[in-house]
Amino acid sequence: MKRVKSRATAALIIAALVIAGCVVYVIEFLDNGPRWVMYSANQSVYKNGVLTTGTVTDRNGTLLARAQDGVYFYAEDADTRISCLHAAGDFAGNIGTGALTAFADTLAGYSPVSGVSKQGGTLTLSIDAALNRTAYAALAGRSGAVLLMDYKTGEILCMASAPSYDPNTGFDSADSRYEGVYLNRCLSASYTPGSVFKLVTLAAAIENIDDLYERSFYCTGSENISGVGVKCTGVHGYQTVEQALANSCNCAFAQISLELGADTLAQYAEKLGFTEALELDGIEIKTGSFEKAAAGSADLAWSGIGQYTDLVCPYAMLRYTAAIAGGGEVAGPTLLHGKAAGTTRILSLDTAEKIASMMSYNVVYSYGEWNFPGLKLCAKSGTAERGDGTSNAWFTGFLDDAEHPYAFCVVIESGGGGLANAGALANTLLQAAVAGN
Amino acid sequence: MEAFSENIIRAAGYIMPLLAVWILVRCVRSMLREKYEPEVWAYLETKGGETAAIRHWECIIGAAKSCDIVISRDSVARTQAALIRSDRGDWTLHDLDSSGSCCVGKQRDEGHGISLHDGAQVNIADVELVFHDLSEKQRAAVDSARSAPGLLISPGLTLLALTVFQALLALLFTVSLEREQLLTAVLGFAALAVTQWCYYFVMRAIDRSGFEVETLAFFLSTLGLAVVTTCAPDDMLKQLILLLSGIFVFLALGWWLRDLKRTKAMRWPVAAAALAFLALNLVAGKTSYGASNWLSIGGVTLQPSEFVKMAYVYVGAASLDRLFRLRNLFGFIAFSAICVGALALMGDFGAALIFFVTFLVIAFMRSGSFATVFLAVAGAVLGVLLVLTVKPYIAQRFATWRHVWDDPLGAGWQQTRGLSAAASGGLFGVGAGNGWLKSVFAADTDMVFCLICEELGLIIGLCAVFAVIVLAFFTVRSAARGRSAFYVIAACAATSMMMVQLALNVFGSVDLLPFTGVTFPFVSKGGSSLISCWGLLAFIKAADTRQRASFSVRRLSDHDGEGAEA
Repeated sequence: MKRVKSRATAALIIAALVIAGCVVYVIEFLDNGPRWVMYSANQSVYKNGVLTTGTVTDRNGTLLARAQDGVYFYAEDADTRISCLHAAGDFAGNIGTGALTAFADTLAGYSPVSGVSKQGGTLTLSIDAALNRTAYAALAGRSGAVLLMDYKTGEILCMASAPSYDPNTGFDSADSRYEGVYLNRCLSASYTPGSVFKLVTLAAAIENIDDLYERSFYCTGSENISGVGVKCTGVHGYQTVEQALANSCNCAFAQISLELGADTLAQYAEKLGFTEALELDGIEIKTGSFEKAAAGSADLAWSGIGQYTDLVCPYAMLRYTAAIAGGGEVAGPTLLHGKAAGTTRILSLDTAEKIASMMSYNVVYSYGEWNFPGLKLCAKSGTAERGDGTSNAWFTGFLDDAEHPYAFCVVIESGGGGLANAGALANTLLQAAVAGN
Repeated sequence: MEAFSENIIRAAGYIMPLLAVWILVRCVRSMLREKYEPEVWAYLETKGGETAAIRHWECIIGAAKSCDIVISRDSVARTQAALIRSDRGDWTLHDLDSSGSCCVGKQRDEGHGISLHDGAQVNIADVELVFHDLSEKQRAAVDSARSAPGLLISPGLTLLALTVFQALLALLFTVSLEREQLLTAVLGFAALAVTQWCYYFVMRAIDRSGFEVETLAFFLSTLGLAVVTTCAPDDMLKQLILLLSGIFVFLALGWWLRDLKRTKAMRWPVAAAALAFLALNLVAGKTSYGASNWLSIGGVTLQPSEFVKMAYVYVGAASLDRLFRLRNLFGFIAFSAICVGALALMGDFGAALIFFVTFLVIAFMRSGSFATVFLAVAGAVLGVLLVLTVKPYIAQRFATWRHVWDDPLGAGWQQTRGLSAAASGGLFGVGAGNGWLKSVFAADTDMVFCLICEELGLIIGLCAVFAVIVLAFFTVRSAARGRSAFYVIAACAATSMMMVQLALNVFGSVDLLPFTGVTFPFVSKGGSSLISCWGLLAFIKAADTRQRASFSVRRLSDHDGEGAEA
């Protein structure tokens, strides 16, 4: 009997395997539970593919969207609904990068302990609805993207994309003005960057050309490269590198680009986040592009000036600008209020400071401080030729101001001159941000 | 008022998992803390006056440490002799060593054993012993000195906790159910509670106080009733009748197992009946969802393989003549091969697997040889490969395994929904009747673990799994005090069978194992399975030899007129 007894433990081997299986399941449950819960067939979370619970507010508690037992509400006033549409998203799920879709797990109020909550979760975005309204109004019917963030905390305070529509009334899909209306142009679009890309070429030049500051760049208004003329915005004569940036001199940056070569430029474009796959709180960002052109070619020169086939997502430019403002380190960025955002170093402190001081010089020397009253602005404008005779207006920069640590990026599609259009919009937004704080 | 009742319901959602854990803990503690004092049937006395108690109906004497009575002498073989008590109370000595060095008086073993009487002179090699049989009176005196279960951990209190659990469950259903269905549900839970208390008082009346096994089964049956309430409230009455039938089978089989002689006498008729049942199924079976394992008799559909499970354990344990005899093992292997083969032919892959693992457990317990087990496994792997090539729908289940999220709209339909719903429940569930998984096919059978996790939470889901595991630990623990190898092997086989079934059900539904579509013991909706689980429970109950613990173990003071003790 003793032997049968000890053989009875065979049954315990099976028991041990079952227990081991339970442990594996619990680990998978903790690990993958959020993903399982958000599966579109989960009727505890979705009804006809739409979230059934959850509340989205801006950083001040202003209601942006709410679902309760399958009944949906958006913000009370139309301007907030329209200007915050892309940030908050819509209940139909058309705006894939909106909070309602991107943070559905938080809105479902899921936790492994309490499961899916009946009341749903509340999500507080870092967005300030008032700034979004200002930005959207300032776009004045033009298509474009406006981003503003606190580069100390990493929180994005303004994210407005135009065109937009009132989710309570919808829009006329036959109207060509609403083309691509579901797209959040801040995160999911990429544009020819034009001169703002010179900030990337500049970073590569500072770190790779030893005597950059001793150099003198000569501009005759056009640079002949392998028989192709690279036109400049003016005739700038002899310039230091600071002056070349402030003049946004194509000749100088053509020379620099040729000297650095396509590999170095591509390497910096990637390192600084322009051609790398970025994520914002899990939202996929549109990856830009930088094609390596042949050595010594005009294409290579143009690629360093932000033309050729270069494409940049406004968010990537904001992130890079915030890194320059933050001494090479970018905090966050994040769309979630109160989230402890980590930092990522993408530039050395020295390079960042050098670029920052040149961006400050831009404003003093070229853009005119009177255009930005009271702001300690560092910026770079861009007027990117779209190839259809119009230009995208870019303006990116930050306030060198500990009390108002704002970095921003403004793009207006076919908006004309960068400074005059995007710069003016940036000023309106910054004034509002500084006044509101 | 509304807020008040809402709070009560919310509190109930948190109290129920705690109660479930507490019920399990009490069963485990009762098992761990109660002394499992063995029975004593006879003594062997040496010349020097030392005595060794004989504690089982089958004892091995030899020099090896694994023997029940160890005689450390060079002259004694490692396994020298077997001392066996018949059901009538007669003892025989069997010489296991062919050299014939054992004798009683002058008598040697001619191959059928030498019968022993009280005071017989036993010679094992050169060791002289005296055999002392205990008179019935003496045995009764020894027996009553053993401690009985239920003194340290009151089984009544555990059952009360379970009753509260059932009441809270019924309360939770008040939120989600329609008025008409609610009445049925409440009556259903009440009927279950009344049943378990009737069982309790009847057992107390016949002086039996071990209830751990039944409490666990009633706990699982409660969850089964919750599953029926949420998925098919109109089937409540049917499920209750099936549950009562299961308890009846449990009692009847338990009573039958009291008598080892009649149990063994019926082994081949039972085997024949099982095979006939399977043959009928093969000929007249209904095909449903890939497996033709259903039989429709007079409007009642049943799954023969479920009933064959009981027969299989019965035959597997009873066909063992005595230890160290292999003769009947081959008969059993043939029986197993036919059973597994028939199930594979029906396409009931899950059941075939359950039978096969149970076969391994029985074969190992009978032979003690890992070599046998390895051979069997190797044979089975070849068999499985064959089945996979013949039955494409099974091969597809293997292809889906661990890839359910690649095909959530196809082969992974059930499991992805199961996982999603189970995760939505968190630890405490979305509330009884509030889930949506019930609308998914087979939610109340194959996906039942996910359904319980969704509505009642992961804690109760795991408690259901652990209830079966606790049964296994309980079985192994009482195995050490088993009267006869039959009871120990049958109980271990029964509990192994339940665990394999449990593992295939639970891990199949959460995609840790291929999805084979077997039932969760006691919990899945379905009559055949429920009845068979209660039947298997009888084997576990019959191995519990604690003082006054089990109705299916005959006590020395029981004179129930079956003639065996007379």
